[in-house]
Amino acid sequence: MGTLRPMVLVAPRPLQRPTSGAVAAGAGAGGEVLALLRDTAARPSFDPGLAGGLRAWLEDAAFGVVASRGELAPALVLGPREVLGTGPVAGAGPVAAGVADGEADDARLSEEAVVSRLVHVLFRRLVVEGAAEGAVVDPLGDALDACRAEGPGGAGAATVASVEAMDEGSRKALGTVVAGHAAHLADLLPRLAPAWMPRTDDRVAIPLAGGRIVLHGVFDLLVGIPRPDTASLCALGLCTGGSWARERRLLHYLALLETLRSGTPPFRLALLETGSGRYGVEDVREEHLRAIASHLAAWLGATAGGAEGDIPEVGVVGAVAVAERG
Amino acid sequence: MELSQWRSVADELTTAMAAPLEGPVPLDRGAWCAARGAAQSTLAGLAVRRAGAGPFRVTDHDVRVVLGTGAVEADDAPFAWSARTARRTIGLAAVRSLLAAEARTPHDAVQARLADSEREVRDGGRTVSQLDRWVAALPDAGRSAVAAEAVTWATRLWCALDWPALGLPLVVGRDHWWDSPHSALLALRGRADVRTRAAHLVVLSGPRRESVRAELALVALVEALRARADAEPAPGRVVGWWPDSGHIVRLEPHPSVLALAADAVALVLAGGSPTRIAAA
Repeated sequence: MGTLRPMVLVAPRPLQRPTSGAVAAGAGAGGEVLALLRDTAARPSFDPGLAGGLRAWLEDAAFGVVASRGELAPALVLGPREVLGTGPVAGAGPVAAGVADGEADDARLSEEAVVSRLVHVLFRRLVVEGAAEGAVVDPLGDALDACRAEGPGGAGAATVASVEAMDEGSRKALGTVVAGHAAHLADLLPRLAPAWMPRTDDRVAIPLAGGRIVLHGVFDLLVGIPRPDTASLCALGLCTGGSWARERRLLHYLALLETLRSGTPPFRLALLETGSGRYGVEDVREEHLRAIASHLAAWLGATAGGAEGDIPEVGVVGAVAVAERG
Repeated sequence: MELSQWRSVADELTTAMAAPLEGPVPLDRGAWCAARGAAQSTLAGLAVRRAGAGPFRVTDHDVRVVLGTGAVEADDAPFAWSARTARRTIGLAAVRSLLAAEARTPHDAVQARLADSEREVRDGGRTVSQLDRWVAALPDAGRSAVAAEAVTWATRLWCALDWPALGLPLVVGRDHWWDSPHSALLALRGRADVRTRAAHLVVLSGPRRESVRAELALVALVEALRARADAEPAPGRVVGWWPDSGHIVRLEPHPSVLALAADAVALVLAGGSPTRIAAA
C-alpha cells in the first residue's frame, strides 16, 4: 500500500487479566471486560495519513466497479453481509438481522435472527439502564416490548411478528433461550459511566466513488469521543452464536469504517458472546485494518470483473493479541 | 494529509458553522434582495394557483421526495411515533439541557426528558404533547428502547461541535415556518437543528443525494422570507451534516440559492419533473 505513511502505533501485546483494583469497577466478567477496555498503559497513536491511505486504496478499487457498472447505475450499498459473507449478523442493526427498514412487518425471520434481535434490544436496554441488576426481569417480554417501540417497518416489527406466529411450545422454548443469553449478557456487560458517552447502534456509512458505492455497518456500542490524533474510542460487539472469527472480522470491518469516518480507528475492541459467556478484548492494529481493506479492495475488484463469489474469506489476523475468556 | 492539516469532525463542523461567509453575499446585498423578491413573486403565483386545493405545507422531506431518484417512499403510511421518529425531538431537548448545564451527559439529559414526559402526563400538565403521551404509555422496556435511540442521536450531535466556539445566541431545534401572505393555505418549513447568528446546521440522514442542496436551500429561503425589511439580519450559511459518514455540505447564501429553493417548492406543488433544479 504505497499511499500509506509509516504507522505510529504501539506494538501488539497481549492484554492481561485485570488487577484486583481494576476489577473493582464492576462485578463479574463485566468488571473484567471494563478493566481490559480501560487499560490505558499504552493507547495507540495512529498516523493521520492512515485514513487517507486506506480511502485511496478503496477508492481505486471502487473506480473499477463504477467503470464496469456505469455512472448512472443505482448506488451499490454494501454491508457486512455482502462484503464479508457474514449472513445475518448477531446483534448488528435491522439490516443485519435480515430485514431492512421499510420491508413488510410480517416478514418471517429465522430463529437465529429472532434470537439475535431480541438479545440485541436487551443489550441496548442494559446499556441505557447502566447494566443495573434487575433491569431485565422478563427477558422475552421485555425484548418484545422494546421491539414494538421500534415501530412498524423494521427488524423490531418483523421480530414481533415472527414470535407471535410461533406456537405456545416454540415461544416457551424461545423464552428459555433468550433468558440464557440475557443471563450471560448481564454478567458480561460492564457498567459504563454516562460520561464515557456510550451509544448503541451507531451507524456508519462510507460513500466511495462519490456515493456510487456505500459501505455501511452498525456498531453495537461505541464509547468515547473521536480525537484527531489519538485513537480514543472503544467498540463493543455482541455475538449470539455462529463463528467467533466471523464476528471478530465484523468488528475489524467496523473499525475500518470508523477510521474512514473520523480519521482514527477505535483503539480497542470487545466481543461478547452471549450464548456461552465468552468474551475477548483486543487492540486495533494496522494489520487488522489493512487486511480488511485488502479484502474489500479484492471484493470490489472481483465485482468489477463479475466474479464476486470467488473472493476467499478474509483471514483474521492478530489472534495473539486477543485476551479471551471462554 | 499532514498532521498539521488534520482536523477532527468537531473542528470541521464547527469551522463550517463559524467561518466567515464566502461569495457575493453579504457583499452584494442588492442581489440577495432581488433574488428574494423573485422568489416571493414565484411563491405568490403558486399560492394563487393552489387556492381552493386545501392547505399545503412544503418541507424538506417533500423536496427530497419530489427530487428523488424515483424510489418509492413510504409516504402513504400514516405518521406513528417510534423510537426512530422520536429520537430527534428527544435528542434536541437533551442537547438543549446540556447547553443549559441542566444535565452533564446526553444519557442523563435524555432520561430527564423522558421523566418530564411522564410527569407532565401524570400531572395533567398544560403542555403535554402527543410524544409525551406516547412515551408515558410505553412499558419500561419500550421506554428504554426510545432512550437508547435518543441517546445515540444526542451524543453524536453533542460530540460533533465545539459549542463555545459557536458563540451566542444559539438556538437548538427550532423549526421556522413562513406563511404565505397571499394564501393562508401555503406554508414553508425550514428545519434546522442548530442555529447561530451566521449559520444553520441540519443533521441529515439517509444516503447522499443530489436533492440535498435544494433541501438545504429551503432553510435559507424560509429565513430570507421571514426577515423583516427594516431589521434584516445578514443571510446565513446552511450546513448539512451526515453523522453516519461525517460528510458535510455547505450552502453559502448566494442569491441562486433562493431561486433553487423556490423552484423546488414549485416542483413540489406541481409534482413535475425537475428542470432548473437538476442543473443547479
